Amino acid sequence: MSNSRVVNGGCANGLVMADALAEDFANSGAMKRHKLIIDTDPGIDDSMAILMAFQSPDLDILGLTTIYGNVTTEGATRNALLLCEIAGYPGVPVAEGSPGPLKGGEPCIADFVHGSDGLGNIFLPPPKSKKIEKSASEFLVDKVSEYPGEVSILALGPLTNLALAVKRDSSFASKVKRIVILGGAFFALGNVNPAAESNIYCDPEAADVVFTSGANVDVVGINITTQVKMTDAAFDELRQSHGKHAQFVCDICKFYRDWHVKSDGVYGIFLHDPVSFVALVRPDLFTYKKGVVRVETQGISAGHTLMDQGLKKWNSSNPWTGHSPISVAWTVDADEVLNYVMKSLMKP
Amino acid sequence: MLEEPKKIIIDTDPGVDDAMAIFLALQSPEVEVIGLTTIYGNVYTALATRNALHLLEIAGRTDIPVAEGSHVTITKGTKLRIADFVHGTDGLGNQNFPPPKGKPIELSAADFLIQQASCYPGKVTVVALGPLTNIALAIQSDPHFVKNIQQIVVLGGAFAVNGNVNPAAEANIFGDPDAADVVFTSGADVLAVGINVTHQVFFTDADRDKLAESSGKYAQYLCKILDVYYSYHHDAYSTKGVYLHDPTALLAAVTPSLITYTEGVVRVQTTGITRGLTLFYNKQKRFGEVTEWSDKPSVKVAVTVDAPAVVNLVMERLTNS
Repeated sequence: MSNSRVVNGGCANGLVMADALAEDFANSGAMKRHKLIIDTDPGIDDSMAILMAFQSPDLDILGLTTIYGNVTTEGATRNALLLCEIAGYPGVPVAEGSPGPLKGGEPCIADFVHGSDGLGNIFLPPPKSKKIEKSASEFLVDKVSEYPGEVSILALGPLTNLALAVKRDSSFASKVKRIVILGGAFFALGNVNPAAESNIYCDPEAADVVFTSGANVDVVGINITTQVKMTDAAFDELRQSHGKHAQFVCDICKFYRDWHVKSDGVYGIFLHDPVSFVALVRPDLFTYKKGVVRVETQGISAGHTLMDQGLKKWNSSNPWTGHSPISVAWTVDADEVLNYVMKSLMKP
Repeated sequence: MLEEPKKIIIDTDPGVDDAMAIFLALQSPEVEVIGLTTIYGNVYTALATRNALHLLEIAGRTDIPVAEGSHVTITKGTKLRIADFVHGTDGLGNQNFPPPKGKPIELSAADFLIQQASCYPGKVTVVALGPLTNIALAIQSDPHFVKNIQQIVVLGGAFAVNGNVNPAAEANIFGDPDAADVVFTSGADVLAVGINVTHQVFFTDADRDKLAESSGKYAQYLCKILDVYYSYHHDAYSTKGVYLHDPTALLAAVTPSLITYTEGVVRVQTTGITRGLTLFYNKQKRFGEVTEWSDKPSVKVAVTVDAPAVVNLVMERLTNS
């Protein structure tokens, strides 16, 4: 019997309120803006999150990096450039990411959710600005090394670019300030199939690399994001508001909303990406549990995220032992998060 | 009017909590135990057979046949995890009881299951307390078994919670994930009682003391073998008491009203780091594409249990013996 020998993830568990982080954000506005890179596959709800980020005076958006998922990587780059223009920040660098997952093969594209243009089939004219020369992973590595301990990353798509950054620079994980990830389904049904959430499913190997990298990771799964719905009534309110991007958001959301009716019987939308953005700037609206998270890469459950809650001392080592724990969003103040999103989108 | 007792076969790998469940079954007028079939898990199959015979001799019920089950998984895997650190090297709390006098019957476990199910179609319930190899073999070798068997109550799986072998998998399913997937997708009436439910049923140190004070023969016997099981729980879970996995599953067959369940498709992951993971799909959400869960028959998955009632029944029936 060797039960007591094994340290399970080496961490105490339980609910962790991230008050310190929220305070950090609240107090710092005047002094220093927070450096942020958004890794994204816009994507309708990505667009909402990106526009919200540009509306936040506390944030210094160093750039957007693009990835496949809701659209192709190429489409994501086009949309990212368009969104920077729409937001009034056409000079923000956009670095194009990997065209497909780590292991190769075709990328998965959810055009049935986001439309063939990724923006709900509104077919905007092409952007005037151009992507930068650097690849997404180069850009991530360079910015994080330039400002060690200062750059946060909001990852809204499959984690290929982040995994490539981890592989490219062994100090990336320790230099990045914080990575907030939209991904996974913790002890809950997936959205691609019962086992897997879409972002993780599209590149399970990459997700496993990032989750076990030792970086300061907060992950927000669909068990959290599906608690925050924007209903048809909320859209009416938004459309009648003087929000700078209210009309645009309402236009792109139509297609997305109709898919939710079909898929989930929800008359409205889940705010996956906006909720994750709120987790970045207002972590106090969430509680977290710490634990090692691994991703299944094989079989019928490929893409399944499995967290060791640390409730049991294992009598022998297993694939979870020895890895650094990450923070998994456990509960959300759904009303307050929705308020935050609505307020932000209704900002003139 | 007395209802005819439900015929049950207990497929078992005794096992400390298996012993409790077997005694409990023999003390339950609602059921008639028509056989024990054995399987590896807590111990190797040969030892499971020996322990099953021994327990029936202790009970004075040598009339009940024991059929020995498979020694390997349905994919012929032999690298089996034996939980001697939970149940002792002999499976019965390191008591080193003398060998039993009886012998297993000639039929294999799977053949015995098939035979009994076809003798009493719709009237035999299997209570499966170990890895599901024997049941899967019965399903694979007799196309009528699924229809003949009344219900298969499975102690197994971890539904939307961590496992107990590793974070992904519960021990019985981990023992033969391929067999479990065969059983869950067979179309039989399956009720899965996972550790998300059995972890709610807790038998405390005080409960054991109460058992020890009784003069019931099963109570006396069990108190001897419970030490190892208690100290394992203390080390692994920092708890002062043990989970009643097998007795809970057994009582779910004896008194179905003790639990509530939901229905949907269960698939078992058979490869990778989450091998043995049980994944339940409630059929509510519609997915963009066909999934591995689509068009599979539903099973029942236990959701809640009346834990105090289970503990009371266990106490009452084991002390009045």
